[in-house]
Amino acid sequence: MGRATTDLPQRRAASSEPRAPRRTHAPRRTPAPATATAAPRTPVTVRAVTFPRVVAAEWTKRTSVRSALWLPLGTVVSALTLAYALGLFVRVGDARSGASLVVAGHVLAQLGTLVLGVLVGTEEHATGTATTTYAAVPRRLAVLGAQALVTASVALVTAAAALGASALVTHGQRAATGPTLDLGDGGTARVLAGFVVVLTGVALLGLGLGALLRRSAPALGAGVLLLVVADQLLQANPGRVTDTLRALLPGAGSRLLLDDGGVAALDAASLGPHLGPWGGGLVLAAWVVALLAAAAYRLRRHDVT
Amino acid sequence: MIQVEALTKRYGPTTAVDGLTFTARPGLVTGFLGPNGAGKSTTMRVVVGLERPTAGTATVDGRRYADLPAPLHAVGVMLDARSVHPGRSAFRHLLALARTHGIGRSRVDEVIGMTGLESVARRRAGTFSLGMGQRLGIAGALLGDPGTLVLDEPVNGLDPDGVLWVRGLVRALAAEGRTVLLSSHLMHELALCADRVVIIGQGRLLADASVPELVAASGGGSLEDAYLQLTAGSVQYRGRAADEATGLTAAGGAR
Amino acid sequence: MTATTTVPNPAPARGLPARRGPSLPRVVAAEWSKLTSLRSPAAIGVVTVAVSGVLTWLSANASSTDPGFDPMGSLGTGLPLAQVGVLVLGVLVGTGEFSTGTFRTTFTAVPRRLPVLVAQLVVTAAAALVVSVLAVAAAVVGLLPAAGSRGMTLDLAGGRTPQLLAGMTVQLVAMALLGLALGALLRRTVPAVVAAVVLVLVLPVALMLASDPGIGGAPPVGVAYTEPEVTAVGTVTAVLPGGAVTHLVPGAGGFDGAPDLGVGGGVAVLAAWVLVPLGVAAVRLRARDLA
Repeated sequence: MGRATTDLPQRRAASSEPRAPRRTHAPRRTPAPATATAAPRTPVTVRAVTFPRVVAAEWTKRTSVRSALWLPLGTVVSALTLAYALGLFVRVGDARSGASLVVAGHVLAQLGTLVLGVLVGTEEHATGTATTTYAAVPRRLAVLGAQALVTASVALVTAAAALGASALVTHGQRAATGPTLDLGDGGTARVLAGFVVVLTGVALLGLGLGALLRRSAPALGAGVLLLVVADQLLQANPGRVTDTLRALLPGAGSRLLLDDGGVAALDAASLGPHLGPWGGGLVLAAWVVALLAAAAYRLRRHDVT
Repeated sequence: MIQVEALTKRYGPTTAVDGLTFTARPGLVTGFLGPNGAGKSTTMRVVVGLERPTAGTATVDGRRYADLPAPLHAVGVMLDARSVHPGRSAFRHLLALARTHGIGRSRVDEVIGMTGLESVARRRAGTFSLGMGQRLGIAGALLGDPGTLVLDEPVNGLDPDGVLWVRGLVRALAAEGRTVLLSSHLMHELALCADRVVIIGQGRLLADASVPELVAASGGGSLEDAYLQLTAGSVQYRGRAADEATGLTAAGGAR
Repeated sequence: MTATTTVPNPAPARGLPARRGPSLPRVVAAEWSKLTSLRSPAAIGVVTVAVSGVLTWLSANASSTDPGFDPMGSLGTGLPLAQVGVLVLGVLVGTGEFSTGTFRTTFTAVPRRLPVLVAQLVVTAAAALVVSVLAVAAAVVGLLPAAGSRGMTLDLAGGRTPQLLAGMTVQLVAMALLGLALGALLRRTVPAVVAAVVLVLVLPVALMLASDPGIGGAPPVGVAYTEPEVTAVGTVTAVLPGGAVTHLVPGAGGFDGAPDLGVGGGVAVLAAWVLVPLGVAAVRLRARDLA
């Protein structure tokens, strides 16, 4: 009791006479487990860090967390469910094209790939893995590049699966109500490819936001704001300024998903620039490039932790 | 007083604690030992009511933890230094904890002073080092001036000065008639501060004895010798011997 | 940081009046202390209020040149964004314990657990009420320049305006509580934010697509077709949180194809959206281990 209440120098002095008698013992080996001597050694060859190896590492990381399975699965299921649900409301003689029905699930599916990108971009920093990662790969940009590659591949495969699944579940509805899916038609091929392109682009947008902001809640919030909220807000206040802003949001990428009639109708109603379908895609691409560049700048120039 | 009786805790097919019985008595520091994965932390989480036993009981002063009318005043708990929101300052973390029991601000300042956190109390806990986080955890455990303390690895990450301080603190707390249950992997440290030692392996009780008894039973070596003999059959995770591991660089050739 | 300390006194330490345990008011005080000790809720509150004011100001200014300009028509401009702010605020309170490990401290101090959930409901409602009142006030202030430029004055006490203002405030508080409920249920920030965004923002848009004649296509010529009063899509939209809140302002609520729930119906639907997830969260909190 007395020891603990005294001040520092006295405690130091006291600690040199510990309660229990000090025991000295000869140096000894801990009893070695039987397996220790018998275990074969794996020779480790020293190889440099290369980009493909960084990609392999990022791939392992992405596929080894629980969200690796449920996120793509949830994305596919939400896309096909929404497409099917909307298909229930298609009436015979509707002007809606078959392709626009198949891609109708993108409104929900884009959230899935956005979260994918955000998670890849923030996980490192949120969990402290960043310390390990950047100690192993001091040339940090390689990690961001690998993350972009992994994100894009997962999103691409997910989007393609969602597209195929949506086409399958709406097949009966399309056959019954008329809208056809003619791949020979340029518009149709563009809309279907656009679904995959836009979802992949949104995933990279999420990666850019995640890598830039490094925390999942702000990054996800920013993504939702840019993709969903800002568009709804501006839509409610049509005008030259708001229509121009709307056309320059990353959500403009969804123009790739409108059939030619839809794009024409959108442009006719807008006082802003008439981008056409591919112009919208370029806007999304510009956002992705700008955000990834900003993230790369932060990664290069600033401390990791 | 902490009484654990025939405590069993299963997670699906895994049995973490298997029919464990022991008592931590007032006025004594009870050391709680066992290899990684032996069930120490699980037992402690059951004692403080975060988890429910599959079978058996764990009581503090004769009551289940959840039935204690004023838990903070009965039991001081420090389980994991990461039990704090990283965005909250140490002071506000302790203040929020104190408010659940109507404990005043002056007592919060008092435990901050006791644990030597005055200079960093207004900093966000996320910026703390491991040692400062441990001190904050201990401050939270002392807040209600409890009669029983449950401390999981309290010296983990502390500087030598801090280790010395914890040793003095737990001795003093026991000397005042309080019950202290403390887990640690540092044998020399436990030999200095524990009166009794409870050793478990694979969820089962291996030994429950005073430190001199254990040392005598192991043939007069040290507490470490006694521990290694007792747990030899129940270690789940064991690294290879040091000379094995160094073979790695030798085979690599470079450097 | 040296350890020059004393150990606790054997006698009850100073500042400890009586050794009483956690009561609901105390847990509420603790939760309020937690909420106000973080930066993010304060930041979200400030941004929400500012955004509400600025957006309303921009919108009112833009439309002030219209011949039939009615300043009150722009009052709700900032609402979609403001509701995202309070939604995230609620989610952060709901997930804060579990996303950080604070829950170990909290639930050893309050082992009966449920008072913590109730206290979170109380403090979220209180904080959201403060933010909502300020956000609505900021929206009103945002109208003033545009109204002034046309020589108009705002009559806040007349007509349906008080109900409109109250409805907007309740809508924002309801969104915060929905966020809390989803956060408490899902325990992790990202899934909870996604669920909230889907429920409030995305599903209504997706359902609108289904009933939008511009996209769905006009009925073919020669086919007699009348839009039914109440459609399946409209009903689903109306019972989603984002649809139900529109019923809180009498007369302003509802949209084509949606049944008119009335103010009471809107409140009931919203209450269900808050209480059902909270109930499930409460059962899980009571019955399961916290590891």
